[in-house]
Amino acid sequence: MLIELTALVAELPALQGIPPQDLSELLAGLGFPVDGLETVAGVPVLDVDITANRGDAQSHRGIARDLGAKLKAPLAPLAHAPYPQGEPLLPIRLEAGSAGPYYATAILELGETQATPAGVKAFLGSLGAGAKDLPAVDASNELLHRYGHPTHAFDADKVRGFLAVRWARAGETLVTLDGVERKLTEKDLLIADASGPIALAGLMGGDSTKVSRETRRVLLESAYFDPRTVRAMAHRQGLHTDASHRFGRGADPAMAPVARDLLATRLIEWAGARLISAWSVGSLPTPRDPVALPWPLVGRVLGRPVDPLLASGLLRDLGCGLELQEGGILVQPPTWRHDLACAEDLAEEVLRLMGYEGIISELPPLESDPAPLAEDYLKRRKLASRLAHLGFFQTVTYGFGDPLEDREGHALGDEPGRRTLANPLGEDYSLMRGTLLRDLDQVARLNLEKGAREVRFFEMAPVFEARPGEPLKETWTLGLVWGGELGGEDPLTPPRKLGGPEGRSLLLGVLKALGIPEAVLAGFSRWEFQGWEGGSRVNLGWHFEVPLDAIAAGAERVIARFTPFSRFPVVERDLSLLVGLDQAYGPLREAMARALEGTPLQELRCVDVFRHKSLPPGTQAWLMRLRFQAMDRTLTGEEVETWVLSSLEAARGLGAQLRG
Amino acid sequence: MEPALLPPDIQEAHLAFPQALAACADLDALLRLKGAYVGREGSHAARLMELLKAAPKEQKRELGAAANACKTQWEEGLKLRQADLEEARKRTAALANAWDPDLPPPMPAQGALHPLNRLMDRLVDVFRPLGYHVEEGPEAETEEHNFDGLNIPEDHPARGSADTFYFRQGGGLLRTHTSPVQVRVLKRIAARGADGLSGLERAGGIRFLAPGRVYRKDEIDPTHSPMFHQVEGMLVGKGIGMHHLKGTLAYAMKALFGPGADVRFRPSYFPFVEPGAEMDVRCPLCGGQGCRVCKGSGWVELLGAGLIHPNVLRFAGIDPAVWSGFAFGMGVERTAMMVSQTPDLRLFFENDQRFLKTMGGLD
Repeated sequence: MLIELTALVAELPALQGIPPQDLSELLAGLGFPVDGLETVAGVPVLDVDITANRGDAQSHRGIARDLGAKLKAPLAPLAHAPYPQGEPLLPIRLEAGSAGPYYATAILELGETQATPAGVKAFLGSLGAGAKDLPAVDASNELLHRYGHPTHAFDADKVRGFLAVRWARAGETLVTLDGVERKLTEKDLLIADASGPIALAGLMGGDSTKVSRETRRVLLESAYFDPRTVRAMAHRQGLHTDASHRFGRGADPAMAPVARDLLATRLIEWAGARLISAWSVGSLPTPRDPVALPWPLVGRVLGRPVDPLLASGLLRDLGCGLELQEGGILVQPPTWRHDLACAEDLAEEVLRLMGYEGIISELPPLESDPAPLAEDYLKRRKLASRLAHLGFFQTVTYGFGDPLEDREGHALGDEPGRRTLANPLGEDYSLMRGTLLRDLDQVARLNLEKGAREVRFFEMAPVFEARPGEPLKETWTLGLVWGGELGGEDPLTPPRKLGGPEGRSLLLGVLKALGIPEAVLAGFSRWEFQGWEGGSRVNLGWHFEVPLDAIAAGAERVIARFTPFSRFPVVERDLSLLVGLDQAYGPLREAMARALEGTPLQELRCVDVFRHKSLPPGTQAWLMRLRFQAMDRTLTGEEVETWVLSSLEAARGLGAQLRG
Repeated sequence: MEPALLPPDIQEAHLAFPQALAACADLDALLRLKGAYVGREGSHAARLMELLKAAPKEQKRELGAAANACKTQWEEGLKLRQADLEEARKRTAALANAWDPDLPPPMPAQGALHPLNRLMDRLVDVFRPLGYHVEEGPEAETEEHNFDGLNIPEDHPARGSADTFYFRQGGGLLRTHTSPVQVRVLKRIAARGADGLSGLERAGGIRFLAPGRVYRKDEIDPTHSPMFHQVEGMLVGKGIGMHHLKGTLAYAMKALFGPGADVRFRPSYFPFVEPGAEMDVRCPLCGGQGCRVCKGSGWVELLGAGLIHPNVLRFAGIDPAVWSGFAFGMGVERTAMMVSQTPDLRLFFENDQRFLKTMGGLD
């Protein structure tokens, strides 16, 4: 909310001469941080952030009231001469009970010359609320910004028969001042006359009764409307106005008759208007029950015993009525403070005026052993760190899915309709994703398009699944993608396209190192990370996703259990095997290893694959490296030869031959 | 000893020797030259020997001296040249195996954690010594957990479909903050009291952080995102007051931003806390002079906090007359943007490697 400094000083003279920066600090200390400071026509204008609970602070006087309490300085007296109850010239019916319990009005005849004073125009201008130069409209507006109570002026000659504060009837419509025709519901509170609706109570006046240059007589409205009713209407109609913000957060009912008088007086002074009659109907809502404030509660909140005299004084400065009670006080909040509903609210007021800067800093004592960090959480952190060390970049994506592209991600029997949002940002964002791979692929492709040679990404996030008859399930999932071209960036590493079949073994190697079980790897089918190149679909690399539950959390031991190792020499033998091009590595290795059971085999692996036209057609050469080492002795050449031969024999059983 | 005594072709060869020697680029060429001049057969030296043998006695002495002089000259020249060439060959061989250590080496690829995850992890680490553990909750939530249990009235504007994503079926929503985790944890610990003692009592209170993804219906632009992260913190115990909250946050902000961090603790409002507070940090860009980032105020809002509203405790089944606590919540993107001075929120979700490389770390 914009606050013009001279208008603020007019409400609280003690602020005279205060530098705007100091005022900003003072306001922030009261819970009204200043979001901006501008100078409009030589006058500083502050953009003050008012929290939603402080409807009463949405005016210059409202802010001044809190500052006055803080500075222990009096507010300027309100220039207000109450008008006596006059003759009710028009029947006013209050038909909506507590939603609109009170209505103050007046009818005035406007003078010949109508002009808004220059000072008022400047005031409204600096608040970004342009003056209309229609005194009835401008005065109402000025009152709202200065004192916070919304009022309205109707063209009295356009009001038919009577005024009613009533609920709308189904099918009724109203063209509001902004020219919009609004469909009304039975939950909309109206001002109506004999012709039907003429204003949305607490929101906006109607077009048919608006004040114009031709208006000769005005009918004023200064009422009280129920906050919940106004909030709901503003929400339903999508119409958030200065008036709805104030009524919606709770206007000061006691200001309703006062604002009527202030408005009438302005019209008399500015436009030579003549009061015909001022009267009111209904009664103001009864004040809420007083709130008990025990001193120990204030002490607990504050962190040290509070001086009852000091605290009582602060609450009194805020306009509270006080009554002593055993161990505390009974507090009657002022009519404008709808937010003071419980003891904690009052404790906050005491603290607020004392200043949060005065609260001592203290760490709460630890009264039990801290709970350990959850294993799932630790597992995610370890995996993420591991992957970062393995060259992968962690991604964070929005998490929405496109129903067209998400289809492949569904688990069998998943009901995507239940993952679908009723009010998405757009079709592409309309359901909660069932896979991470779509987003990862997109990130990878975008990076390749932007010139990355190699892309390695992973994400960890929940993915959604809706199985029939079960609640929507979120499963923490790890997704990875690896593509582009590896190597070729230094003289010692030749380039290699990862989209080729051997690229998958790189990703598999990482997945195995992470501890993802073979069965999970074997059960996964959607490996290809694809993209478009020159109009055709090509493999750019490989991707994979797995629920984190499938990965065992590595038990952490800062000092691991000692594993003995041999002190005797290693014997290494290489076997070059001629195998078919369709030979699977796993079974061959396993067969050889099985033949070596009982031997001190340390390692058995393929260290080279050789494919060349010099080899018999349909074959390739695999160089298998065998490493033996015994715990208790130096191995002899003869026994090693025996073992090598037995593993060769096993390989032969699968059709392999020793390469000559 | 006049070379003139020698036959004209040998004289010519002798004169050409230095040039021929210099022209030998390698040892093979030198070997050929050696063969031609001093070889056992057919060389110039061999011919000289034959001439000497055949020469008349009186000429022998003179001719012999001349022939010897030539031969010695050739042999010495060849020897020197051979040494040079051998040296050169060694040098070349050594160079062939040499490698300029400044040539780019293959490096193990280095990835990075996402800056948002790093900041969340860092917060967990900062609060760990204070005894906080991590609690998590689902992203798809109920109105009860996201709003009702947090003292947010039924007609609060944030509950509207303009601000909150709702599922098409089942009435669920995407949580708009991490605060529903508060409600879940409070309900869980309140429900434990089968033996008459409340779970809270036996446990001596509870303290936790709840980091996670949250959703609000905002369009994607430089300062808005439909998904972002929060870190929620909560502590429940006996006799907890604002001084505990202030002490905890002051500790955490100093741990996060350094001991010199200038923070401000001031009143604010959130429906689920009372009293409410916010903590600001002195604007990192302008140092408090006022700039675009802090909108001229010199301060940037860091987090919202307060003592748990008695209605929140009551809703979960915890007696606010016995138990009290505080809660706080921090916007992760907001803090990350402010600290890093990243100009556009979307950069965090585009995942450009160049961004992640400079912003993220390994652990």
